[in-house]
Amino acid sequence: MKHNLIKLSMVIVLAMILTLGLAACTKTENNENKPSSPPAESTQQPQTETTPNPEQPAWQLDTSPVELSWFVGASWYGHSWGESLTSKYVTEKTGVNVKLEVPSGEANEHITLMMTSGKLPDLISMGSWENAVKKLWEGDHVYALNELAEQYDPYFFKVAGDGTLKWYRQENGNTYGVPNDSYSPNLMHETGMTAANQTFLVRKDLYEEMGKPDLSTPEGFLNALQLLKDKYPEYKGQPISPFFAQGNVPYGMSEYLQNLLAVPHEKDGKVYDRITNPDYLAWLKTFRTAYERGLINVDFLVDSDTQVEEKTNNARYFMMIREWTGMTAVNPMLAASGNPDSYYIAVDGPQNSNGDSAKLFPGNMDGWMVTMISKSTKNPERAIRFLTYLASEEGQRDLFLGKEGETWETVSGKPQLKADMAKLLETDIEKLEKEYGIMDTYWMMRNPVIINQWRPEKAPVIKQMEDFANGQADIDSGIYKGLDPLGDSEVAVSWARISQNWEEVLPELITAKDEAAFDKIFDNFLARRVNYGFDKVMEYRQAELDVRKAKMAE
Amino acid sequence: MFQYRTGQIKTFFRQWQLQSMVIPGIIWMFIFCYIPMFWLIIAFMDFSIAKPMLQSPFVGLKHFQDFITDDRFWRSIRNTLGMSSIKLLLGFPIPIFFALMLNEIRTIRFKRTVQTISYLPHFIAWTIFGGIMLNWLGEGGVINQLMMALGLQDREILFNSDAKYFWWITYFSDTLKETGWSAIIYIAAIAGIDPGLYEAAELDGANRWQRMWHITIQSIRPTIAILFILAVSGILGSNFEQIFMLKNNMNMKMAESLDLYIYNMGLVSGRHSFSTAVLFVRSIVALGLLFLANYTSKKLTGDSIF
Repeated sequence: MKHNLIKLSMVIVLAMILTLGLAACTKTENNENKPSSPPAESTQQPQTETTPNPEQPAWQLDTSPVELSWFVGASWYGHSWGESLTSKYVTEKTGVNVKLEVPSGEANEHITLMMTSGKLPDLISMGSWENAVKKLWEGDHVYALNELAEQYDPYFFKVAGDGTLKWYRQENGNTYGVPNDSYSPNLMHETGMTAANQTFLVRKDLYEEMGKPDLSTPEGFLNALQLLKDKYPEYKGQPISPFFAQGNVPYGMSEYLQNLLAVPHEKDGKVYDRITNPDYLAWLKTFRTAYERGLINVDFLVDSDTQVEEKTNNARYFMMIREWTGMTAVNPMLAASGNPDSYYIAVDGPQNSNGDSAKLFPGNMDGWMVTMISKSTKNPERAIRFLTYLASEEGQRDLFLGKEGETWETVSGKPQLKADMAKLLETDIEKLEKEYGIMDTYWMMRNPVIINQWRPEKAPVIKQMEDFANGQADIDSGIYKGLDPLGDSEVAVSWARISQNWEEVLPELITAKDEAAFDKIFDNFLARRVNYGFDKVMEYRQAELDVRKAKMAE
Repeated sequence: MFQYRTGQIKTFFRQWQLQSMVIPGIIWMFIFCYIPMFWLIIAFMDFSIAKPMLQSPFVGLKHFQDFITDDRFWRSIRNTLGMSSIKLLLGFPIPIFFALMLNEIRTIRFKRTVQTISYLPHFIAWTIFGGIMLNWLGEGGVINQLMMALGLQDREILFNSDAKYFWWITYFSDTLKETGWSAIIYIAAIAGIDPGLYEAAELDGANRWQRMWHITIQSIRPTIAILFILAVSGILGSNFEQIFMLKNNMNMKMAESLDLYIYNMGLVSGRHSFSTAVLFVRSIVALGLLFLANYTSKKLTGDSIF
């Protein structure tokens, strides 16, 4: 007993020493932090005296070297700053050296951790749909860009685009982030570039050999699958996978398929519950029939990303509900392979009973990622000026095209990519991005309105898919994208439970033994959904849509 | 009594080299195991990451009610217990057998080679090992090819699309990956047995089976008991990475373990309080199981942790 007591007291003493040590550590850290902020303020003062000119970009006022860390919320983002021609050029020009950081896993979790520790990178780019973005804004972790701009660089208002600033304006009147790849309906109507990426793809050689079967009606769809099974069960010694849907249940088999079927988003001003649409259900039943007859397998519901990639690269899918943007690397590769017709083309896929053409999501105002300036930064004035520069036409050109004379030249008054660069773009994108860092290397502030005019013509095997998607894009439907509640609120939790349940129910529907079983499973789901609080979710969607409409009207 | 204590302190300082080796471990445990315990308090709050710690409102047992009334929570308990029981009952003895068999190999070189090869899979991350598993289980994978070549099935089966296989897939893949590694501790325990015992037994006419049973197993019994007690207390835990890699929409009803449930219903939506509440309950149950297993083992075999 005594023995133990002594041991215990030892441990406690040690522990106390430790906590004291820790406390000491945090104290010194605090002390270190404090003096660092006054100098930052004092450096700000002389600059505010020179009152920046709203007609002129303010980055030119100060091009002394400074380092800004920039968090890019995509774990797969593999580019660095400082090696490529473009990055060196921009650093030389503006004095800003960027230190790119990417999350090791999920961006949301990574930034949440950083928020807890209170130390954030200077610039943050995050997917506009991520929970953490809202938390950064609400928790006052990032600067209001309009306030920073007023103080240091009013030129920002000129380049940031009134529409996007308004779109992301919060209730308190502030805007905390600028989006990239943001498309306004007006712009899309004007240019015909819709950023729609949803397509229905089939493998060209098989499709043509089969006599271009009709895939838009359930009967045609099933007949084509039967023909495929009878005549082309294998490719290169491996079984053909007749069907694939990107993003599995929650995307490919739900929202995406509903878009192909042109299921409306609202009816008589009310948000429509698309899952109960008769056409959609009829098609799910078609898939069930196909499964029952052994025409499709459930591999598209269970395969991991690597398995999907392997099948895609070997052209083992016959048809796919898949975004064409995911095929830009594979399609040219297949077209250059031993079987040059084994690449994928966009065709009319499943359609509703009226035979309406698909209504695909276009790009929208939300864009892809939003970029913010964190309050942890010691150089807010340099950060806002850098963002302004990147958003301006000059910055867009510098990042997208690189340095004049080296990667691009002016041809009849218009900037144009040099021929060797254009060739590199087709043959070795990796080298292009690593050595030159042009085109889509640094996309964090990419503004399609500006850069699309400089894009070289795409390869025909890609352009076919893109044109098809553009042709079927429903330009005004961008507003319906992502109406669902996210985060940890009660309604968001309800929605998480419902959507996670749907992910399990849909496979059951497709593997149901007959239509009666199908109906029963679906009815059970509807009942469960109500229990989980579906009414609240619908109310939320309606409210969200109303807010968006009001903003659009402004 | 005073003298006794100073004696202790003296011993402590006399062994300072040894003691200082323990200190980093104690520090580590304090920082990562004891300080976080304080933050269990957020299980009773509506904690928000955007607000400073401890400024969130107290909500009592709201989060506990949330998961206790959720049928998916109970499903995840069932799955966790199912997978853990299989691993405990059928998986626990395997490394012991393996260590015993390895011990009987006479050629040192062969023994070492087998041992090294057997624990190599342990160092492959589950993200990669899981990918390999999925390939093996796929339509064109080795398992389907083998089964068809042996005439045990007449067409390909997508093993990971059928929920009923899932528990067994986790069991087999875990055994495949970890047997060699788990055997190390038994091999170490066997190496510590006094060879004199074997010699004496041999003189007395004991054959190899008798020596294995009466000497080897009896000598490593305390090790087995301790590992068994720890394994029982971990029964509500599961290998998150393994399940995360192997799960999909079609086997989810058998695959969603407690950990995955916490991930899906808690962390994905940023519900830190909810996740903490579930973990809190799990830890308490684990502690109870630990005491129970320890007590039982003490009564039955005399070996225990405390």
